[in-house]
Amino acid sequence: MKDRAWLYLPFFSAVLIICAAMLVLPYETVYVRDRTYLRLFLVTIVVCVFVFFVGTLFNIVIWMQGKGLAGTPERRLARTLLRASRFVLSRRFGKVIAVFLGDALYLSKLKGRSSLRWAMHLLILGGFVLMFVLDLLVTFSLDFLKYEPMIVSDGWAKLWIRDFAFDLAGAMMLAGLLIAALRRFVWKPKILRTELPDATSILFLLVVVLGGFILEGMGISGRIPGHEGSPEYSFLGYLFSLVTPSSAGDYYDQAWLIHGVLSALLIAYIPFSNLFHMIATPVAIEVDRMLSKEASS
Amino acid sequence: MKKLDISKLDVLALMRYDACTRCGECTSSCPTGGEAQDVELVTPRGKILRLREFYKQQYGLRARLLGPREIPEEQLAELVSRAYECTICGQCKTVCPAHLDTIEMWENMREFLVANKLAPLPAHEQIIKSIENYDNPWMQPRTQRSRWSKRIEKEVKIKDSLKERCDVLFFVGCTSAYDPNIRSMAEDMARVLAKAKVDFGTLGNEEGCCGSTLLRTGLLDAARRMAEKNIERFEKASPSTIVTSCAGCYKTLRQDYPKIGKVGPKIVHSTQLVRELIDSGRLVLDKRVEGKVAFHDPCHLGRHNKLYDEPRKILEAVPGLELVEMERNREEARCCGAGGGVKTAFPELAQKISFMRVEDAERTGASILTTSCPFCYQSLKAAIDVKGSKLKMMDLMELVRAACS
Repeated sequence: MKDRAWLYLPFFSAVLIICAAMLVLPYETVYVRDRTYLRLFLVTIVVCVFVFFVGTLFNIVIWMQGKGLAGTPERRLARTLLRASRFVLSRRFGKVIAVFLGDALYLSKLKGRSSLRWAMHLLILGGFVLMFVLDLLVTFSLDFLKYEPMIVSDGWAKLWIRDFAFDLAGAMMLAGLLIAALRRFVWKPKILRTELPDATSILFLLVVVLGGFILEGMGISGRIPGHEGSPEYSFLGYLFSLVTPSSAGDYYDQAWLIHGVLSALLIAYIPFSNLFHMIATPVAIEVDRMLSKEASS
Repeated sequence: MKKLDISKLDVLALMRYDACTRCGECTSSCPTGGEAQDVELVTPRGKILRLREFYKQQYGLRARLLGPREIPEEQLAELVSRAYECTICGQCKTVCPAHLDTIEMWENMREFLVANKLAPLPAHEQIIKSIENYDNPWMQPRTQRSRWSKRIEKEVKIKDSLKERCDVLFFVGCTSAYDPNIRSMAEDMARVLAKAKVDFGTLGNEEGCCGSTLLRTGLLDAARRMAEKNIERFEKASPSTIVTSCAGCYKTLRQDYPKIGKVGPKIVHSTQLVRELIDSGRLVLDKRVEGKVAFHDPCHLGRHNKLYDEPRKILEAVPGLELVEMERNREEARCCGAGGGVKTAFPELAQKISFMRVEDAERTGASILTTSCPFCYQSLKAAIDVKGSKLKMMDLMELVRAACS
């Protein structure tokens, strides 16, 4: 019981703080016009983020049930986290970062084996990371700093970050996902079975990314506030707007909610799908490298 | 309901099961799954997904909320059988973009299957009993272990390292010691050591199986007992170096024994020692051995221990020999098909893979196929004979011995 309390109390407190922070942000500059849709989205995302953290924790608790450590799984995890946090402050942390950048992000090993797969993975991962960083940056500069060039329609940050950089991140993901879909469904090796989770993950991601561009196209063609300035900076959304009737803008809020809910569900789905490798693979690479270094030294 | 006990899976292994990206890079290069059978469940991806699915059904969030689900017996049995069709060659470790240490994963998976009373396979049980009763997997009496040395006793002085102090202990290994068709490998090694005036000895009939077969089939406790006995003997003999010409013994002594007990002497493979002897001028290769030779990298020596250059440097030092490389060499070398207990439990599958390796060698135009592992030698020699190939199978030490005047 004590072990569980040591792990779960700080964990759930941290998750609740993250969820509360998501709820109290002002969201003054979101594109959706009807605040009811925003509230519906916020409820969904908070639930989904909670599910994501709980699912991730339970997956890690399963790891901790294995052989090699002493104590209850919760105690093992708490101790491991404590050791990991000490490691962050140590001199060897630089090595951890280098391994993470080279092996987990840049995928050095894959590059040597298959350029296409390497490009595919780098596009998806790079797009995902870029979008996450941009989201944090934009949220911070809009909701905390109220940074004007990020808000006004002709501000440099609005055009180059909110419009261009987001589209670039989305385009990277889209290109990578299309290659992944072709490799999975068309050019796949004979022996490779495509099970439901394989198909679901790719299709789910494709729907969310494509949905984002369709939504942007609707916003541009319907002249929704925030999209009416210089739409060509949102280069891919702009292309979609060319084939989207302006009347589609009438349904912008509903489409925004659907896209938001799907994105939130994707987050909740991660720990229960093969997308969990986004978390597990870098962790496994780091642990392996650190353990083999310890063994050799 | 059969409840799987995941406490026998390593923490790291459980992490790696989740880290598998399901990309399938490993499927086509897997010698037993992708190349020989086209069965995904034998491939790393197949095994990982199936085992992960099984334990998640009993330990995942859904199992916590709604209770564990039963795994159909026949599905479990199929996974067990497929898991043992793997030669643990480590090709998947080479290709895995997620850097998963699959060699450790498969050995640990078998340990888990044994702990859950799902393995070993009936075909392995006889070997296991033989090791436990006779200290060797070949059902041969202990008193016959040093018989191989009788033929050369007049020619070569081999010390009994338990009675006489010697610098190098030659750990012969069960296959070279007992298989009458392979005994010459041990003889050649002894001759080469004698030629270089190495002060060496063996444990004689006291040498026990290194435990590799037990470790690779998941029987850790039995392997530990074998290892402890051997470590005790090493301590008694106290040489400065232990040399073995068997790649399986080398991996076990070098990688597994230190996890069980303290091994004082330096562990080297015969290729490392012989290369050193050649480089230092103690062993002179001055007789011509004509031929075009292809070297097969044993998995336990190559991918498991990263020893690729030593055998090649030795071959290059033999006058008259021309070394040619197979298309798949070094880290990418195809397995011979015998390892991981496959030859015992699935001889036809092992033969199919060894045929492919012999064909790899034939394509180089080589006249000789050589290797530095008795197990690979045994399986490739059999494939050459059955296929009626023109290749001549030779052990690396046989070539070295032939090059010594």
